[in-house]
Amino acid sequence: MMRTLLFILLGCFPLLASAGVTFSQLASVSSTPEQLSGRFVQTRYLSALDADLVSEGVFNYQRDGFIRWQIRQPIESELLMTPQTIINRQDGQELLRLESDKSPVVALLSSIFFSVMTAEWEVLENYFLLSGDIQGQQWYADLLPKDSSVLQVVSRIELKGDTLLREVILHEKSGDRTTIQFQQLLNDQ
Amino acid sequence: MISENMRHKAVATGWLLLVVLLVSLAIKQGPAFDSSIFALLPESEQNPVITSATEQMAEDFSRRLILVVSGEQGGAVRTAVKTAASALLELDEVASVVWQVSDNELEKLSDELNPYRFTVLDEDLRQRLLEGSFEEIKARALFRLYSPLTMGNNSLIEDPFGLYAELSMNRHSHLNLKISDGLLQVPDTAQPTYMLIVNLAGDPFSFKVQNSVLGVVGNLSQKVRQAGVEIRRSGMLLHAAAGARQANSEISTIGLGSLLGIVIVVLLAFRRLKSLLLMLLPVAVGCAVASAVTLLIFERVHLITFAFGAGLVGVAIDYALHFLCERRVTDSGFVLKKILPGLGLGLFSSVIAYAAMALTPFPGLRQMAVFSVVGLVAAWLTVVLWLPLLTRQDVISELSFAIYLAKLRAGLPRLEQQPLLIALLFVASFVAAFGLWNSKSLDDVRLLQTSPASLINEEGQVQKLLGAGSSSRFIVISAASLEQCLQLEESLAVDLNMLKDTGELQGYRAVSQVLPSLQRQQYNAELVGQLYQSSLAGFYLGLKLTQQHGLDSTANLTQGQATLLSPEAWRQLKSSENWKDLILQQTDGSVVTIVSLTGEVDDVLQARLRSIVTGYEGMYYVDRVGGITELLTSYREQIVDWVGLAYLLVFLILLRRYRMQVWRILLPPLLASLFTLALLAQIEQGINLFHLMALILVLGIGLDMGIFLTESRDHSHTWLAVSLSAYTSLLAFGLLAMSNTPVLHHFGLTVLLGLTFVWLLVPLMRNATPGEND
Repeated sequence: MMRTLLFILLGCFPLLASAGVTFSQLASVSSTPEQLSGRFVQTRYLSALDADLVSEGVFNYQRDGFIRWQIRQPIESELLMTPQTIINRQDGQELLRLESDKSPVVALLSSIFFSVMTAEWEVLENYFLLSGDIQGQQWYADLLPKDSSVLQVVSRIELKGDTLLREVILHEKSGDRTTIQFQQLLNDQ
Repeated sequence: MISENMRHKAVATGWLLLVVLLVSLAIKQGPAFDSSIFALLPESEQNPVITSATEQMAEDFSRRLILVVSGEQGGAVRTAVKTAASALLELDEVASVVWQVSDNELEKLSDELNPYRFTVLDEDLRQRLLEGSFEEIKARALFRLYSPLTMGNNSLIEDPFGLYAELSMNRHSHLNLKISDGLLQVPDTAQPTYMLIVNLAGDPFSFKVQNSVLGVVGNLSQKVRQAGVEIRRSGMLLHAAAGARQANSEISTIGLGSLLGIVIVVLLAFRRLKSLLLMLLPVAVGCAVASAVTLLIFERVHLITFAFGAGLVGVAIDYALHFLCERRVTDSGFVLKKILPGLGLGLFSSVIAYAAMALTPFPGLRQMAVFSVVGLVAAWLTVVLWLPLLTRQDVISELSFAIYLAKLRAGLPRLEQQPLLIALLFVASFVAAFGLWNSKSLDDVRLLQTSPASLINEEGQVQKLLGAGSSSRFIVISAASLEQCLQLEESLAVDLNMLKDTGELQGYRAVSQVLPSLQRQQYNAELVGQLYQSSLAGFYLGLKLTQQHGLDSTANLTQGQATLLSPEAWRQLKSSENWKDLILQQTDGSVVTIVSLTGEVDDVLQARLRSIVTGYEGMYYVDRVGGITELLTSYREQIVDWVGLAYLLVFLILLRRYRMQVWRILLPPLLASLFTLALLAQIEQGINLFHLMALILVLGIGLDMGIFLTESRDHSHTWLAVSLSAYTSLLAFGLLAMSNTPVLHHFGLTVLLGLTFVWLLVPLMRNATPGEND
């Protein structure tokens, strides 16, 4: 009896899998260039004030190396992320330096953001459950944290793209959310 | 004659009653043992605050077993963690297992300090407030708002400057851990590594606890090894279990071996079971009375006293052997008369030697002195009072063994006839003394270490992974109230932070880091008020927020400034769990807190810390490892002095009776000690306390040998008695040289060498016996 049931279940498994999207499918559709640069527009929605804070600037990254995030409007501020540190500079001065080995929160934060930006699906798979769909070149992924420690940092991530990532929405459990749109992406530096 | 016999019987009965009384009194009080090395510290140096703090640290450490589970595959490791936790939780001997953090606990952890964001501040932020760097705080807040990363709650009304975000970003647990999948993960490891903390319900020294807990862990380790998962362990339980295992196996091998050897030789020599029993009786009475009296005087008997006191057997057995050997050649009524001067002098000299130790300021040595003196007197009284009565019916029959031994001895040259031998001894003594002069001594805490190296290695790996603070070096702060302790800690923090900035100190952990003093909290609230006053309006204007928002935010501040984190509220917090053990409530209402240090603490840093601490009232630097080393050093130095004094006293006493012959008695143990020490200095890493303690035993037995032989004019049966005495001591203690426990090994090896030398030297220095030409 159990064996029959198991057979049926196993038989259904490929069907079940095709109903959603797997991280490996996403990996095959999207490309993760070694280097990438472009412009971004970021809109942060603050639920308590029901207001948007918009900022824009340029960014570039080196896979497995760093992400440089330069805000031009409304303030001048630069964020340099490596897997070990998060450094913020304003007016050429180092304002903030967070070491991931000193704070577990920082470690988690930088690990997630790094993986989102550089589309490291195998890392994201450790933290999130995936749903979404792929239609031709266009794909959409919806990530829900597996783990409550991740939930403290981000409650849901939405990603949209074609060969490259085009839009990220980071939801927080407070109801705030951050939408980042990428433009003028260039991967042949 | 009759009346004398009656009197003897009456006194013997009196002694019996006294023995029974003392032992039953001790039993009524109940045996209590002490194994803390600190109980041996001189009283004047022992501060009750430090003692209780160290005991607390040791207690916490001893009740905790840490398991680190790691492997190639995260899934397999996590399964192993869960299996281990549920298996351990089933045991009665386990009070709790810390291994997971539930969602709701995590939620609580992340938000519970938010209400105190204006009074409990991040240290760096506080510095910026103190320096008045409001612009920098504003810039950081802006960056947080526009950063793509969400760093803490960006509530523009409740906390526009992100005070709580700054705090929660930098908060980290005292252990190097993060939470992943609800489990405690050790970050930055090559393989996925998780941790479990097992809190034991029972005493780690109990066999039941050891067996059940380590049994479960052992089985599990075997099972998960196939899945490529490794379990490493750290905790007192492991050391206690290893020690017990070792002691067990040594008692059954070394202990049984020596007992068997003694029984066989005594039976061979006397060919009577009764003799064996009679020989053991004074020893048993001596040990029982010594234990009883020590217990009654000191309330608790230290285990080291027992170990040393056991050495007493070797001396106590002398009196019995001497009597029994003499009884074989002398009539019942005359034995005592004949040997009493020798027995008396033997006892007197040994008692003087041991009693000298009672004058030292060390409670440990004093206890040993009492134990030894009482034990010797009791054994002596038993021989003198009971043995004549118990052997009244025995017939006289010379022992063939004695005649054989005497022949053997007669073959040895006498020193006085051999100028070459004298010269040889002189040279040997000179070489030995020279070697000793250049030798070093060893007072390392590892002397007291009993665990195998593999275990210590495993322990070290776990501690390193977790980056745990040292449990042996810390600062103790004592004050009338917790508030005062916290204020003291805050002053100390200024010094410690300076050492941290220069890189000398890796880090430290203090309650005040998570629970600022109320004074500090009020000041913090004032500082935040200044920030709002100077920067809030401008900040809001830049973000195009309305005036109403400003009013809301200020109202929020006013409310928050009054919200102080009281110690009582703090204790209820989830995050205080790992910090509570740094506070020790004293019975008199005062409070002691501990500041623990992380990373390596070298000598230079120790000196700095010591000098910093002297600047504050009620603050002490504790170095348990160093403390033990100092303790061993001072005990060693004291013992050398007292052994010297003991020899001098004994020399003066014996001089009165033996005049120019005194060298025959004193020189053998003296030279034997010298040779033994010189040899030990060569074959061991250095002379230590336990070598010297064993030498006192060599002195005791050596003196008896010389005195008995001189008194009996080197009678063959006396020679048998002292030979047997040396032999039994050799077996009882010399065999300990094979022990893996350092203390016992050192003690045993010294006795082995020392008694062998004494036994060889005594006949060389004998007087001419009738028939031998002078």
